[in-house]
Amino acid sequence: MKTIEALAPDQASLSSASKLTKQSNWPRLEKNEQLALIWGECQGSGSNPYRVVVDTGDHGYKCTCPSRKFPCKHTLALMWIAATAPASFTAAGSTPEWVNDWLGRRRKITSQPAAPALGAGGKSIGEAARDDENAAVEDAAAIERREAAQRKRAEDTRSSVSAALDELDQWISDQLRLGLAGFVDNSSDRCRRIAARLVDMKATALAGRIDEIPSRLMGLRSEERPDAAIRELGKLVLLAKAWRSTPDDAELRRLVSTSESREQVLANPEAIQVESVWEVLGEKIETRRDGLVSHSTWLLDLKSAAPQFALLLDYFPASAGRRSNAFTPGDRFDARLVFYPARQPLRALVVERKGDVSSGQWPDFGFDAVDPLAAHVAHQDTAPWLTDSPVMLPPGAILLDDRGDAWWQSADDPHGIALPIADTVSPTLLGLDLAATAALWSGSRLHLLAAQSGFGRLDLS
Amino acid sequence: MNEIEQTGLATMRDCWITGGTSFDLAPVGWKEIAGSANPDERERRLLAIAAQALEIALRPAAPKTLKRRPPLPELALPMLPERLRPLFRAALKQAADARGKSRVVALVASRGFVLHPMDWMPAASDQTSPDVYAPWVDWQAGVDGEKHTRREQLTAENWDDFYPAARRTALADMRRTAPAAARQLIETRGSSEPAEVRLALIALMHFGLGADDVPFLKSLSADRSGKVRELAGRLLARLGEHGQPGDGGPEDPIAELAAFITEGKSGFIRRRTTYAPAKLKSPAQERRRAELFETCNLVDLAARFGVTESDFIGAWQFGADNNVDILVARMVAASGSDAAVAHMADTLVAEGGKPALFVLHLMPRLDSRRQRVLVRLILKDTQYLGALSLAEGVEAGWLDWADLTNGKTLPALRTAVAGNDDAVKRGVDQFLETLGFLATAAAAEKLIGDVVAAGMAPAAPSLGLLRLNASLTGP
Repeated sequence: MKTIEALAPDQASLSSASKLTKQSNWPRLEKNEQLALIWGECQGSGSNPYRVVVDTGDHGYKCTCPSRKFPCKHTLALMWIAATAPASFTAAGSTPEWVNDWLGRRRKITSQPAAPALGAGGKSIGEAARDDENAAVEDAAAIERREAAQRKRAEDTRSSVSAALDELDQWISDQLRLGLAGFVDNSSDRCRRIAARLVDMKATALAGRIDEIPSRLMGLRSEERPDAAIRELGKLVLLAKAWRSTPDDAELRRLVSTSESREQVLANPEAIQVESVWEVLGEKIETRRDGLVSHSTWLLDLKSAAPQFALLLDYFPASAGRRSNAFTPGDRFDARLVFYPARQPLRALVVERKGDVSSGQWPDFGFDAVDPLAAHVAHQDTAPWLTDSPVMLPPGAILLDDRGDAWWQSADDPHGIALPIADTVSPTLLGLDLAATAALWSGSRLHLLAAQSGFGRLDLS
Repeated sequence: MNEIEQTGLATMRDCWITGGTSFDLAPVGWKEIAGSANPDERERRLLAIAAQALEIALRPAAPKTLKRRPPLPELALPMLPERLRPLFRAALKQAADARGKSRVVALVASRGFVLHPMDWMPAASDQTSPDVYAPWVDWQAGVDGEKHTRREQLTAENWDDFYPAARRTALADMRRTAPAAARQLIETRGSSEPAEVRLALIALMHFGLGADDVPFLKSLSADRSGKVRELAGRLLARLGEHGQPGDGGPEDPIAELAAFITEGKSGFIRRRTTYAPAKLKSPAQERRRAELFETCNLVDLAARFGVTESDFIGAWQFGADNNVDILVARMVAASGSDAAVAHMADTLVAEGGKPALFVLHLMPRLDSRRQRVLVRLILKDTQYLGALSLAEGVEAGWLDWADLTNGKTLPALRTAVAGNDDAVKRGVDQFLETLGFLATAAAAEKLIGDVVAAGMAPAAPSLGLLRLNASLTGP
């Protein structure tokens, strides 16, 4: 039930789904336990029933209805019936054609170890063998032509991005000349204009980042905004310089133009794989100015002596997105993750999920640093263009200043460093001693994710 | 970052805010890094250095005014297991109003658990949540941590060491075990409290109310607060003490109320006295009658007609006027003696039918045996199932499956679930929530299966409290 709650795009969908859990709405309900699949046909308002299939292993789903909510009420209802009345499903030995179609189309997180990939396409050996039976043998010249075309495309992109960064440099200089007071006041228009130029010139990821600067500035008090603007623009300068020095660096390319595909990450020998027990700390779902919804899920490695985090990041269009995976804050599971290559590996993919683990305390991280932001500073040393870092804060508490704004402060340092918190906090939180707090530090604000306290785990995201 | 760099950074920052070139203002070391490039590039390099200096070398200035709330006290019961928290949140969300929400909380407490503070907290003004939450009520009210140790007996000396909610809980416990000692405390320490607090303390006197309390309650007739005087009068009335004798004239409220009541006779052979509401001429008169019922005491009204409380209730013609019947029931609940309340409950429940529903107003005054008898009667009859949701002060989690199968409740429920009448379905939802509060865990589980088989969606939100109940099988 927790999973269904977490998956639902809003409360209205949940309540519509609850009305659809009547048996009479579902002329067909079947399951195949070996494949971890449930499917059914739901009699909707149309003449034909909607067909819904759900992978109970990774919560992937498909429904034939025209709804623009993901997952739709039919999908939620099917999962709900499975959770509350599993006996309603008839066991089916084979899967219907439409389920097979979907299975064939989707990129599933397999539970087999990833096969060695063959180049950027990353097909499994099995698939490659099948292809070999059917495909005509390509001659060496065709391969050469294709690779040459790829090289040319990469070269074109590089020179386009390089020109984009020249424009960005000029734009930053213009902002300094015109004055940051004006930039702060008009950041929305000014950032939109340069971001649009960067998109045209294939520096897409950088455009998305610049598009978010205005909202990052507006989240601060007016007297803090000039400093924040200096930090945001200064980091862009550093990122542009770093890219120019090593344009083929995977991390820098990801931050400036485009991310690798899942297959490319799996195929990259530099991508670290970590098998451990992970706890879902929390998630952030934000609609960006470029029309995408970014869904960040933050994980904590429970087997690591020092706090180690992972970020599962999904983007989908606000109008027609889907979440490929659903986790509930507090969930713990045993899994192998592969990290996108980076100076501070953080963004990751789940390669193999082995099963859930019961909840408990976090490891004792033995906090000894005087500076609660020491981890953030270390990240900045290696990758100064980063904005947000996950941090694990030592024992502390949340206090209020005379404006009613919340601050985190260390228990051992009651008159020392205090860190301002981005959002309003529950008044109850003010009475709890926090043994450890996981948060994101944006350079000026803390975004709380989760904490451990005398009352157990606290979900703060 | 040294002092020179900090000063340099501050002046560069000011320069950039207004717009311009900051190279001449930069610290020497920074100039060396930026030095050989063209003017635009120099500024960008300085901007990058300044950005990292701000990011790494500076920390937010902690305001001197930071205030720490006292730690939230731990409660005497274990916390609801983690796996049941989503069920609780769903049930709480489904509860339509504050009363519904407090039932969800009471059900959990009745099974020996308290809630996670991030899921539910009592309000600072809360006086209805289970006693176990008293420390949290006081914490919400902004007092600084517990000063008394738990299980410490409340005395006149340590009175000030207890916070209001904890004190109320301690006094209520004391009234049940040593009523005289509790009364003495209320008498000696309560008099200096403000009227609102005094009123809450005097209200606790209804626990273990007895003849020994009469002198103290009578002394309150001179209290500064009208509300305290009225409450003391009602408590005295419960003990059979008459209020201030009126002069019987038109200004005497008892005489005025009696004039709104018609005395009659019934029966051919054994003539019995009857009392019924008089037919009134205007809504204004009806409003006045309602006001008088709210303020007059049963014992005085019965005495006005020259009969005992029980005789008056026995002779009252229930069923003649619903609204007036409700007023009578409320008057009995507020000021009737224990014997009168029990007599009214027993008489009406024995007769059954619609008049038995007026006993719902007496619920908070009834012992649990009588409460259960009434609930079972309403369930058996099924005609007025909706009225159950009005029951106040009923215990949680005792209704057995046998109570539900003994009568027409389940068939009626199944028919309503299978039907298509939205209004009826809303009634069913409310009824299921009431049963979610009353049922035992085993009965809750069976009931879910029963209504789902009848066609209710297994995930229907109105089954939320039943689902929570079925999962709460004790610590």
